Amino acid sequence: MNWFGLSLGFATLFIIGLGFVWVIRGERYFGYLWWLYVMGAGIAVIVATLFISNNWTSALLGAFGASLVWGSTELKEQAVRGELGWYPFREKKILPPFADVIKKWKAPSL
Amino acid sequence: MELNFVGVAAALATFFGVWMGHVTVRKVERNAIHLWIPIGFFLALGLAFVSLSLTTSSLILSAVSGILAVTFLWDALEFVRQQNRIKHGHAPANPNNPRHAKILAEHPEATTFGWLDRDPRGSKYSAEELAAMKAGAK
Repeated sequence: MNWFGLSLGFATLFIIGLGFVWVIRGERYFGYLWWLYVMGAGIAVIVATLFISNNWTSALLGAFGASLVWGSTELKEQAVRGELGWYPFREKKILPPFADVIKKWKAPSL
Repeated sequence: MELNFVGVAAALATFFGVWMGHVTVRKVERNAIHLWIPIGFFLALGLAFVSLSLTTSSLILSAVSGILAVTFLWDALEFVRQQNRIKHGHAPANPNNPRHAKILAEHPEATTFGWLDRDPRGSKYSAEELAAMKAGAK
């Protein structure tokens, strides 16, 4: 029996669960315009796993990087949920560098 | 230096597992008349991947199938959660689906209006604006 994959599957479920928390909190205080940086960080983490020889570390970081990329595509919809009053709303956001440029781009939503 | 591909494999399984589940659950829940059919299908699919993950000797195949297994099992649960979003009006109901038509008749919050089909505007909607949006959509 090879328990690596199934244990990793449950660990991934937990990592995705954390995604709900940081997407909701992160959007509330920082706003959805951070999506580009979050996506970039996720891709960087995934590329970095190529150079980690320990299988558990590499796999867990890979799942974490993927959840950052996925979460980056959820931020825009979460911003709308806040404005609709489904989540606590904060009008004042800590904006990312180049927010006015990023605002002109279409934020991903899958 | 030898590259370790298990992290990239786990990342791809996680991202595409979540994406496919996200799209499939919404689409299938919208059209399925009896929800137990897709729930049963995803439970079976999840268990098949559990079995594959436990029996393969390949580390990468075990990782990918383990992540997909848990994702599919979670998707089975998400069909129920999605139906609850329909009841609360947080996801649009399909009036042509008899199961959704019943929900629309029994749950006052349920609506065919897609609240999330808009871009963020930077400020909160007032109760009057929300009511006008819902009335305008009907």
